[in-house]
Amino acid sequence: MVHVDSMKNGFLVIPFKLPEHPVLSKHENGKSVPCHYMFMKKHQSKQEEESNCIFLVNIPLLTNVESMKTVIKEICDKYDEVSYVEDLLYNDEFGLNDVNLSSLTSDLMSVPNDSSETRFTPRNTALLKFVDQSSVNNCWNALVKYSNIKDSSKFVNWNYSAPSFSTFINFYKPIDLEYLKDDVHSHLAIFEQREQEAQEEVQGSIVDEDGFTMVVGKNTKNLNSIRKKILKKNPLTKHEAKTKPVTMADKKAKKDFYRFQVRERKKQEINQLLNKFKEDQERIKVMKAKKKFNPYRSA
Amino acid sequence: MNNVKRRASSSVSEGESAVKHLKRDTIKLDNENETEIEHKSESESDNDDEEEAQEEENGKSKTHTKTNTTAQDIHIARETAELFKSNIFKLQIDELLEQVKLNNKNILKVEKFLHKLYDMIQQVPESEEQSLIEIQSFFKNKIVAVPFVDPKPNVQNTNYKFKYLKPDVSLVGSFALKTGIYQPQGSSIDILLTMPAELFSKKDFLNFRCLHKRSVYLGWLTHHLSILFQKEKIDSFLKLEYEYFNNDTLLPILKIYCENPNNINTTNDNDYNFYKTKFSINLIVGFPEKVFEHKKLLPNKNCIRVAQDDPKADPSTLPATPLYNFSVLSSSTYESYLKYLYKTKKSTESFKEASILGRLWLQQRGFSSNLSQSGSLGGFGTFEFTTLMAALLNGGGVNGNKILLHGYSSYQLFRGVIKFLATMDLCDSGHLQFHSDINYTDAVSKYVQDGFQTPTLFDKTTKVNILTKMTVTSYKALKEYAKMTLKMLNNVVQDQFANIFLINISKYDNIKYDLCYKLDLPLGEDINKVLISKFTPNEKIKFITIENFLVNKITSILNYALGDRINALEVELVGHKSHFPIKKRKVYSSVGGHSLNFDYAKVKILVNPAESEKLVTRGPQHSEDITPEAATFKSFWGPKASLRRFKDGSIVHSCVWSTSASEPIIASIVDFVLKRHITENVQIDNSVTKQFQELVPLPNLPASKSTSILNLTSYYNLKKSFDELYKLVFKMSLPLSVKSILPIGSAFRYTSLCQPVPFAYSNPDFLQDVIIEFETSQRWPDEITSLEKAKTAFLLKIQEQLEAEHGTKYKSYFTRDESIPFNLDVTTLNILTPEGYGFKFRVLTERDEVLYLRAISNARNDMKPLLEDTFLKFTAKYLASVKHTRTIENISHSYQLFSPVVRLFKKWLDSHLLLGHLTDELVELVAMKPFVDAGPYHIPGSVENGFLKILRFISQWNWKDEPVILDLIKPEDELENGFETSIGGSDVDADTMKKLSEKLTLAQYKGIQTNFGHLRKTDSNGLHLQYFVASKNDPSGILYSSNIPLAIATRLTALSKIAVNLIQSHGLNKQTIDLLFTPGLNDYDFVVKLKTPVALKHSSGIIDDSEFRNISNDSAPTSFPDDMAQLSEKMDPTYQLVKYLNMKYKNSLIFSSHRYIGVNGGEKGDRNVITGLIKPHFKKQQKFKVNIDGNVKPVDKEIVELNKQALFHEIAAFSSELVVDFQSK
Repeated sequence: MVHVDSMKNGFLVIPFKLPEHPVLSKHENGKSVPCHYMFMKKHQSKQEEESNCIFLVNIPLLTNVESMKTVIKEICDKYDEVSYVEDLLYNDEFGLNDVNLSSLTSDLMSVPNDSSETRFTPRNTALLKFVDQSSVNNCWNALVKYSNIKDSSKFVNWNYSAPSFSTFINFYKPIDLEYLKDDVHSHLAIFEQREQEAQEEVQGSIVDEDGFTMVVGKNTKNLNSIRKKILKKNPLTKHEAKTKPVTMADKKAKKDFYRFQVRERKKQEINQLLNKFKEDQERIKVMKAKKKFNPYRSA
Repeated sequence: MNNVKRRASSSVSEGESAVKHLKRDTIKLDNENETEIEHKSESESDNDDEEEAQEEENGKSKTHTKTNTTAQDIHIARETAELFKSNIFKLQIDELLEQVKLNNKNILKVEKFLHKLYDMIQQVPESEEQSLIEIQSFFKNKIVAVPFVDPKPNVQNTNYKFKYLKPDVSLVGSFALKTGIYQPQGSSIDILLTMPAELFSKKDFLNFRCLHKRSVYLGWLTHHLSILFQKEKIDSFLKLEYEYFNNDTLLPILKIYCENPNNINTTNDNDYNFYKTKFSINLIVGFPEKVFEHKKLLPNKNCIRVAQDDPKADPSTLPATPLYNFSVLSSSTYESYLKYLYKTKKSTESFKEASILGRLWLQQRGFSSNLSQSGSLGGFGTFEFTTLMAALLNGGGVNGNKILLHGYSSYQLFRGVIKFLATMDLCDSGHLQFHSDINYTDAVSKYVQDGFQTPTLFDKTTKVNILTKMTVTSYKALKEYAKMTLKMLNNVVQDQFANIFLINISKYDNIKYDLCYKLDLPLGEDINKVLISKFTPNEKIKFITIENFLVNKITSILNYALGDRINALEVELVGHKSHFPIKKRKVYSSVGGHSLNFDYAKVKILVNPAESEKLVTRGPQHSEDITPEAATFKSFWGPKASLRRFKDGSIVHSCVWSTSASEPIIASIVDFVLKRHITENVQIDNSVTKQFQELVPLPNLPASKSTSILNLTSYYNLKKSFDELYKLVFKMSLPLSVKSILPIGSAFRYTSLCQPVPFAYSNPDFLQDVIIEFETSQRWPDEITSLEKAKTAFLLKIQEQLEAEHGTKYKSYFTRDESIPFNLDVTTLNILTPEGYGFKFRVLTERDEVLYLRAISNARNDMKPLLEDTFLKFTAKYLASVKHTRTIENISHSYQLFSPVVRLFKKWLDSHLLLGHLTDELVELVAMKPFVDAGPYHIPGSVENGFLKILRFISQWNWKDEPVILDLIKPEDELENGFETSIGGSDVDADTMKKLSEKLTLAQYKGIQTNFGHLRKTDSNGLHLQYFVASKNDPSGILYSSNIPLAIATRLTALSKIAVNLIQSHGLNKQTIDLLFTPGLNDYDFVVKLKTPVALKHSSGIIDDSEFRNISNDSAPTSFPDDMAQLSEKMDPTYQLVKYLNMKYKNSLIFSSHRYIGVNGGEKGDRNVITGLIKPHFKKQQKFKVNIDGNVKPVDKEIVELNKQALFHEIAAFSSELVVDFQSK
């Protein structure tokens, strides 16, 4: 394989040597050394909490901040750089937090005074946060050098934190009752408090130009128009034919008062019949093209 | 064919013109006359409507031509709406008729030969009167043999003479009537050679005399024709063969056909070679009309005098010989029926089309004019259909009122005949009389309410019962099909055209019938003892052949023994031959190891599941003196019969059977009675049923091996346990009172793959879902996390009270629930009952739906699909599941086989690693299709039948273009009530109307179709959503099938196609059935084999196949552990593993595995396999992007490709302690 140290869009290619696995090694005789490739780039952001970050793409299985600290230290040590990793941000390996249902249903429980949208990075990417600017720079220097290594035996080893049998079994374990009770209790307490505050805020503050107090929030429970708007989003009815509701005026109007009405209706009926006929003919044509009329074919 | 014409003109009076006309037709193809007339009448009737239409159009358009065409269209559209079921039906019929039209070129080609043949027949020399000895010596060294029928004449008592005189030659049958159609296997042209009357004496109809005369006549003709063929040098491709016409051994005919040019060396471009036309020619030798007194040949007369014990006895005490009489009599009536039908055709515009429809309908159901006495369906072919139609055009009602009118459209004629067959009994309680005499203008057909216990369509003119060749069994089958078809014709909602005309339902016995048993009769001398000795002279003259006798015997034994356990029965003699070389006298069979003319017999049964598994066969009441019925019953059942007292106090002769998990009771009965009444050595092969039933997982319950497959007790026990719990929870005092507790688990609708077994908590379906709702409240939090917490608070309250009040009996614990994506706060309360079952309670509030919908509207556009999916999952789990469970539970009581069939189907899906990708509901709905939408077949009555029909359906389901719209209702048994006995009554009465109301209405159906149309507009190839499965419960059709990976959907289709092909090409046997359930692991990109430390088979409630039941019982849990945390020790870790793998590699890979490790996880239930498919866009190199979401490696500075090596390492590391092998391509 050709050695690639960085991608055109500025990402460094950072290889790691993978440990041998008994079931795989017997199939892998003679093949090249198994490596994992991460892609890294300095992260630029105006956000305070995202400063001093390196952007990571293609993160190995079950990576956590500790495993990143280990490999970064190893790489930096190679080139006598000193760098301190602080955190691994936005790593959501299984996509559990792709959607925050809570904030989508109400702003009550979301982090207060955070007006901007929740931050996230695409799947299989994350931000590696360092303690300060110099740590980032030191680390980056080491990474640049590291990415130029061509001999795979000199790559840093990556050790998966493999789950054990009991990890999977534990998913079936009951939730601790006391913990659950506490959790429910404290959560609901916060919720009630927030709800109260929100209500007071609404009642106290919003008075519009005309002196009326606004009582309708974005997600107000019972406003019919909002409810209707929301119900329209039902994906089950997305493909349903839209019918025009019959109004009272329509119902009351006489349909055979004028001669032209009768004539129109007759014409309409005949046209309908004709259209249906034409449609059917088309359908038959399609079916014929698909050879749907051979009695000796299907069983 | 001038000669033909000339001869025809000499025929009798009024029929003359008809026949003349006919003959001309055969020469000039598709006579223009007819079409001309059609045009005329069309344009005539057009006029009225045209005027009307013009009136309307005048104001608008002055262009005459345009008006004209639209007016015509309007006319056609209107007419078809009235005369046909619907426009589309009419158009479909037109297309179908076009498809099966005979090729004119072929007709011309074969006619050329017909002329030649006519000339050659004229050249056959006439003979002197010869005695039998002279005949025998004449044929002694000849190639051709005289096809004497059994018993062949012997010299001593044959004192009549034989002679050949020139016959009267004419075309008969459908070719003459021009109602023939194209058939892939070829069609035959019937030519009638009528023997001159002077060859017969008045009494010749007795004792085979006329038949022997005919045999000699046919032998003479064959001999000379073969010489003439040689002379003309056309013998190299023309083949001559004797055949029993319609399988009637009394009626040998000569068949002429062309040999496949590939088989003969001579390159043949002879003008007379009509091989390519696929026609064959039947030379039928008939008797002249009225040569015998018709009255003497009535069906109830005896015409074969056999020696009686008392020589002075009156011959009228001899048994009637209906088959023989029919054979003789019908040989003299070909021409008169031709005239009769021809006359009717001339007076009925759509006669031809209707008869073609009838022919197709019969063909697709396996009916023909063949003698049904020798097995299979028969006795009702196109001839019988058209004759019945003609009779109904001349009356047919009780008062002779006309059932059909001459002006009817083809559809109306066809429907009328079907309706007559479906509603009028021609066997037990009535028959139809008609007159075939075309000169008798007042002839009126009449339905007479007096049955002969045999199907009867009696011609007063010729004294022939047209339906003689039909057995009662065959008639019942016909009637049943007619009923089904009438139902389909009455169905205005679904398009039934294909079901009525296009699908050949008799192609595969295992799909047409529920059970098929192969009977091998013993070889050699034994047959003599058991059969031939019983075939007494009286039986001989009644049944004519021993094969007919055998078929009748098997049929009547089984019908008596099985009674209402079955709906229909058919016996087929496989390998029955009806043709033989001209050098032989008759069929000499060498197959089967016995001298009989068949290889083996096949018994095909339609089961009545409502009765099939009842334990007791009840006979007549016990009384002091033995009644004849009781005597019959006792002698029939022998040691099996016993006297039993029933709960109501009655004492009844009865037989008791025992159920088995692997075989239906019918199997034991068939085995018992055939061994008792045919021979002890008969071999009955029913291994297919057994194998399929054994594939359904057997629960670890007492006596499960002797529990019928239809038994649902295990489910009822679970329900009982639930009912107890239900009462407790309902009584609890909670902040909000309980409004409803609705079970939604699959066991509540009898569809869980494994039957519920107490304490079998490793079974993935062990915890059965239940939805609990509280009274309405405005206080539910308006935010989803808090709402879930509030729900949990309620569940905690329930748990508290349960613990406090019933803590000794019930155990409970909470778990997180992941059934709704992104809602990580759902908790469920799991309650274990003292009976050993588990229920999983989740709370539904009126707030939920709004919140999920709000999330959709608040979400970023790119997130909307995810949230819509979340909403669908929520709706499926919390809302639709209630209706689904209720509906399936309700109707599966009427579809007894549904439960075992759907379990087998689920097992099949899981063995192919597909079940994990599909929702239970979707699988159940697909499996329901052959039950609620059975047409044109019957509702499945056996496990194998239901299963095969599901596979057949999936293999043919073109989901891209076809929605599945299910009408989830019980079968319409009450159909009969809807019909009145008088045929003139209205089609729909109050009762049927009521039934209709439960069905999908046309508007609903159309609505669903429109939904499908809209869906396919945005996703025309079904890349996003493949299976559209809708019902009244879910008109959207997408609720259960969204988010199935395309690769999985196509794989299911492909697998079912392979399965169906396999069965079609190799039949059902041990190997093929095993293969059906073996996953094709080679198709995947990589395969990971897993082994779990704890075997889960026994703790899933599955019993071992082994005989040593106790051993398996030991390791199965018999109680719940004290610490609920210990439950997890016997749970399946591989399920979680695969779930997380699919989550992590969502974008690049699809993982599949067995969901039910206890069923498909090897002998002990500790094996699983994970297969991986790489998604197409990761199979090739691609540009590096930040959001690429796949484990890739660089190829160069821009391009990356999937890093399989690293992926495999990750997967292996993730599977860590479970993986035992890893295979990749």
